[in-house]
Amino acid sequence: MCLLPQPQNEHIELHRKRHGQRLDHQERKRKKESREAHERSHKARKMIGLKAKLYHKQRHSEKIQMKKTLKMHEQRKTKQKNDDKTPEGAVPAYLLDREGQSRAKILSNMIKQKRKEKAGKWEVPLPKVRAQGETEVLKVIRTGKRQKKAWKRMVTKVCFVGDNFTRKPPKYERFIRPMGLRFKKAHVTHPELKATFCLPILGVKKNPSSPLYTTLGVITKGTVVEVNVSELGLVTQGGKVIWGKYAQVTNNPENDGCINAVLLV
Amino acid sequence: KMALYNFKKIMVVPTSKEFIDITLSKTQRKTPTVVHKHYQIHRIRHFYMRKVKFTQQNYHDRLSQILTDFPKLDDIHPFYADLMNVLYDKDHYKLALGQINIAKNLIDNVSKDYVRLMKYGDSLYRCKQLKRAALGRMCTIMKRQKQSLEYLEQVRQHLSRLPTIDPNTRTLLLCGYPNVGKSSFINKVTRADVEVQPYAFTTKSLFVGHMDYKYLRWQVVDTPGILDHPLEERNTIEMQAITALAHLRSAVLYVMDVSEQCGQTLEQQLELFNNIRPLFANKPLLIVANKCDVKKISELTEEDQKIFADLTAEGISVIETSTLTEEGVMTVKTEACDKLLAHRVDGKMKGKKVHDVLNRLHLAVPAKRDEKARPPFIPEGARIGRKTMEVDAPKQYWDLMNQDEKYDVIPEIWEGHNIADYIDPDIMKNLEDLEKEEELKVKAGEYETDEESEDEEMQEIRQLAKQIREKRKLKIVCSKDKDVHGPRLPRTVKKVERKTLEKEMGDLGLDMTGKDDSHYAVNARRSRSVGVAKKRKREASVVPTSRTRSQSASRPPRDQSGVRDPKMAKQAKKLMKNQQKDMNRQGKKGEADRHVFDLKPKHLFSGKRKSGTNDHR
Repeated sequence: MCLLPQPQNEHIELHRKRHGQRLDHQERKRKKESREAHERSHKARKMIGLKAKLYHKQRHSEKIQMKKTLKMHEQRKTKQKNDDKTPEGAVPAYLLDREGQSRAKILSNMIKQKRKEKAGKWEVPLPKVRAQGETEVLKVIRTGKRQKKAWKRMVTKVCFVGDNFTRKPPKYERFIRPMGLRFKKAHVTHPELKATFCLPILGVKKNPSSPLYTTLGVITKGTVVEVNVSELGLVTQGGKVIWGKYAQVTNNPENDGCINAVLLV
Repeated sequence: KMALYNFKKIMVVPTSKEFIDITLSKTQRKTPTVVHKHYQIHRIRHFYMRKVKFTQQNYHDRLSQILTDFPKLDDIHPFYADLMNVLYDKDHYKLALGQINIAKNLIDNVSKDYVRLMKYGDSLYRCKQLKRAALGRMCTIMKRQKQSLEYLEQVRQHLSRLPTIDPNTRTLLLCGYPNVGKSSFINKVTRADVEVQPYAFTTKSLFVGHMDYKYLRWQVVDTPGILDHPLEERNTIEMQAITALAHLRSAVLYVMDVSEQCGQTLEQQLELFNNIRPLFANKPLLIVANKCDVKKISELTEEDQKIFADLTAEGISVIETSTLTEEGVMTVKTEACDKLLAHRVDGKMKGKKVHDVLNRLHLAVPAKRDEKARPPFIPEGARIGRKTMEVDAPKQYWDLMNQDEKYDVIPEIWEGHNIADYIDPDIMKNLEDLEKEEELKVKAGEYETDEESEDEEMQEIRQLAKQIREKRKLKIVCSKDKDVHGPRLPRTVKKVERKTLEKEMGDLGLDMTGKDDSHYAVNARRSRSVGVAKKRKREASVVPTSRTRSQSASRPPRDQSGVRDPKMAKQAKKLMKNQQKDMNRQGKKGEADRHVFDLKPKHLFSGKRKSGTNDHR
């Protein structure tokens, strides 16, 4: 239904090919490009508010990049002597026979770790954590006809309950762990691999603030949690598959909505 | 189903960075920004939950719009579905849209989770951190969609430039080797302006043009040339032509280059024709032997002529054309259109819908009474009459300047005039009759005005009207002569001199003698200048008659007291005017006018305070 021919496919390029450009096109283009610098600076000076903060941050990083490339170009022009030709770990000839030392170090480390495991002492990434008081973690719930009884408590932090968990009858339940705050998975980072996996939690091993929290399953910053690492495919020296490992929580889960942990290797 | 196959209405797809910026800045502008620690916790919670939900809503809306705007390959005509598959790869397209859909669902889930968590937030800090985490998560999801969004934007740009081909209407499809003259043909037949160049693959995609024939609208589709290799090896450009051939129900015009200027011999062209023959099934076919101005079929060798003879023998019409000299182009057009129309009508007759129409048509024939034959009867007189009506005879008696033009067809319209209006065999006789009648009428005095029937009143009115008209004309001429420069002042500003007033009134018939005591005369005398006052002082012989005059003589007016010379007077006046300016601009009656028209102007009390000032907002 068209009385006029419709523009099709590359009509813009075709028009340019047939009719060329405006007579003053080149001049206008040149002038517009030279005006860009002025307009950019005007914008940068006159902008205010949040927009300005974001813009200046972005512009700052752009300028740093520009400076780096300029420096790189400058460096390329001058030729410098390359100093580090010797590879790392290269040992001079008179020290060659001391190779065995590093291997012995590894062996003794393994022995030390085994002893630590037996003793139950762990080197955790977060040794000291702020202790959370009861008023912080547990909220008093008033019950009763006149709302006078105050023996119930509700957990305000993220917690973990097992698979086969069933609530006690509501009338007798003292600690309420709301469903909204129950988490099953944690984002666990392997410190050496530097990779993060989303692994299911098996249980709460120890909460540094109080053994009560450990039994309740409250997860706060610094809690040691056991996670299911079968996804990683770790195998012991004996050939058995490792499927559970400890990890320590490194963030405040109630503020971030997720549990971030570091695997304890 | 897209009725017009118009893909131009798809919204622009922003890049991922832009998307994030737009949504976040929208959240910052459109939701309340102020919250304090001491507010009630439900208020704080609501504040932050609103932000999370608002952001989610925006993302959801925009992503849904993208998903609905882009056509679903299953919902559109198979021609377009296939074309889009050829151009953009169906899998990639579906994947990209799928990713967007997934992103939308993920963002919804994130929002749900965090809103649920925020219900347990017991401090401002906690709620704020949760909101920050929620927004951050949503934006990370969008950052991951960068590739999909870029791809979709490119698809959108290309889609919007596709020609709108209606797959169901009457279409003529041109196909053949590259450089045979398909684009030239479409340029000749329609208004489409397809590029024509001597190198192969000038046309890289489908072009459509429209033409009229038999009061119907026809589409002509120009395709890129196809080379002779199997389907799997065809590239995107050729595949577009194949798609058009496969899906459009059209008449196919296979264009061949008789002069072999395209670089392919006739055998090769015939080879290609046979290879793509299966695509021509159920389509009226026509072979266009193009570039016949260079070489005609009759000038070809025996074998080549045999090719065309074979084709004609099979029942496919071969028409020689030349798009350069335009010979044969119209023949091709008419034949192709006729063939296609016949084909379509046939198809419709075989279909089910035709019965609906046929059932409603009924040709009534009178029932035969007996076996007597009763053919139509034309009386002799009518036959003779018809003979006399034959137009040819008078033409040979016409006496024209150029005898060759005797038998030319008389046009119906010439130079904007309808010729039938000027033809009347009795026109001379009618003109004479009319003139005679007019003469009689004039003699009888029909056109003379009846003056006696007018009474005194009418005559007076007529006279007055005449005078008014004359005077008006005079005034117009006068005002035109005035040549006024500068702004036009209203009539009341000008001072009317006493003389002119008395003269005008006198002309109208009023008695203007002895009007020295009249109001206007007295007022005119009252306004005096300084010079006049001084003059009065010198004329001591003239005794002031009234007290007011003597007083005013000894006490100068306030704007002249203490003013020594005209220069100072000018300066004083200038100062006065400067003071007046402000007051005048604000419409004040005077110095003492302190009235404020708008105590609370709306623009200073509403809206957001952006730069911290209330002066202008």
